[in-house]
Amino acid sequence: MNHRSHATRVLTLRRLQETLLSPGFYVAQVVGLFAGVYLITRFAASVDSSGFNFALDPVYDLIGRSLQGTFGQAFAAKLFSEGPFLFVLYMSFLPVLVYLALSSVFRFGLEKKAGAVELITYGPADGTACLLSYFVKDFLLTLTHLAVLIVFFAVAAALNNLVLGPLFFYSLGLLFFIALAVYAYGMLTTVLAPGNPASALAVFIGLLVFFLILMLGSFTVVSGYVRSLAATLAWIVQWFSPAYYWSLGFRAMETGNLPFFLLTVLLLSILTAAILTASHLIIKTRGVKA
Amino acid sequence: MIETRKLTKCYGAFSAVDGIDLKIKPGEIYGFLGPNGAGKTSTIMMLLGVIRPTSGEITLFGERYRPGRLDLRRRIGVVPENHPKGVWTWMTAFEYLKMFADLFAVKDAGPRIDFLLEQVGLREVRNKKISEFSRGMLQKLSITRALLHDPDILFLDEPISGLDPIGIKQVRDLIMSENREGRTIFISSHLLSEMEKICHRVAIIFQGRLMAEDRMEFLLSKLAQDREIQVDLESLPAELPEQMASLPFVLGTASMDNTLVVKVPKEGDFRKEISAFMIKLNLVPLRIQESSLSLEEAFVTITNKNIEMFADLGGHHES
Repeated sequence: MNHRSHATRVLTLRRLQETLLSPGFYVAQVVGLFAGVYLITRFAASVDSSGFNFALDPVYDLIGRSLQGTFGQAFAAKLFSEGPFLFVLYMSFLPVLVYLALSSVFRFGLEKKAGAVELITYGPADGTACLLSYFVKDFLLTLTHLAVLIVFFAVAAALNNLVLGPLFFYSLGLLFFIALAVYAYGMLTTVLAPGNPASALAVFIGLLVFFLILMLGSFTVVSGYVRSLAATLAWIVQWFSPAYYWSLGFRAMETGNLPFFLLTVLLLSILTAAILTASHLIIKTRGVKA
Repeated sequence: MIETRKLTKCYGAFSAVDGIDLKIKPGEIYGFLGPNGAGKTSTIMMLLGVIRPTSGEITLFGERYRPGRLDLRRRIGVVPENHPKGVWTWMTAFEYLKMFADLFAVKDAGPRIDFLLEQVGLREVRNKKISEFSRGMLQKLSITRALLHDPDILFLDEPISGLDPIGIKQVRDLIMSENREGRTIFISSHLLSEMEKICHRVAIIFQGRLMAEDRMEFLLSKLAQDREIQVDLESLPAELPEQMASLPFVLGTASMDNTLVVKVPKEGDFRKEISAFMIKLNLVPLRIQESSLSLEEAFVTITNKNIEMFADLGGHHES
């Protein structure tokens, strides 16, 4: 094992210990699971003899209107075609994704500013080992959370006489790879952002919001508001957006096109690797000082 | 052990470090001095591989060094000026040291940590959270961390700044004892009186250029224009300064209370002649002491004078 791999392993273990000893991760998990339990419970109230209907329950009515307004009717219908689990999966996964991504950006930014990263790099470690340790920590905790969600949903499905459909399992994989790309962007913004951890957080959140707007904009473009330059730019930038890969993956899942789904996952993995490589090159060139 | 050749670091058009040649020999305590903004930190950061030189070479343990040579970096221990604030606060002293011991793959880390904590007097607080440590304790913890992997050279940046007198003595003793065991020490500090006490050789950097690098005694004698000998007497006759000035080797005299100050040339020991002259005048010298230039005075002399004037002081004296 070379020095960098060794340092990454040691630092990852410390970061895991740090995260698991603090309440944040558990709070995010509990929030996600409570949201899941709540939405599954309400789902029963939205079903009558003709099947699922948003309008039957005020909570689902609100969710349905929001989804239809943003993504269109077909998407909203597809999201609930296998019961509540697909939508609930997203809702249960999101708090942990957001917590892990934001906390890593903040912690890494704080360590950079305090000189802790510099101190670590005086030893047989470098900036790349530091950022990789955050990424691997998030990778492992996301896997853990997904395992918890699988158990949770399996139990919830059994208790409600429902089944987990193929879209659910496809989504598990897709969410995992999207999360990795988001974590990689977190590392990139931290190595790029100067000064304090708050500015790194602001840049990161801004970037995610930009990707979301871009994705929602693409739905608008489909609706016909096309401006050629903006559309071309958006077309180029979307390939860097995890949200775009989510929409691609969802389309593949909808049509049951496994090769297209695997291609999406492959492209997403390439994007993640490219972001991490860029982060590595930047930290190597600019150094680890804030 | 460490050698630099024409080491240069530029930030845009500004040269923070301008072609400096350093030579740090095994087993010595090397002091690196310079006023704020002289290029000290940039030089140290380059030596530690944290920043890349714009040009020039660094040779470490006989091998060419560049950032990324983690194998060479493993042989260095570093004590930064300040312990990082607001991070690792949840760790105890032992956990903190264990993390670094793991990073350095130290075998039998537990006993090694306990041994070093004992040496620096922190054994009692091994299970205390480092967030509760005072500045002195953090400094000693930092030195312990830097020694965990038994490095060949120890870099200390302002190791005693902000410490109380007891803390200063403890850290000084620790540095001296590490050096006695054969460890090379590189210290950067503003506390010149302390540097004078512990350093074998010093380098003075100013405006990015190396002004002087030499053994302490050579550097001080090189910079001293002349020497002063202080003679303490029971009582000082008013005519004595004038009488003393008549001696051929005396360059000047001054008196204060019962002390006569005699200026003599740099070369030669004139205490015997002065003593004999006093006795001839039936005076009893209570003490005859040579006052030499302090490092602080040498530092001020160098940094106040023109760069070109001191360029020739860059030559080395082999020890």
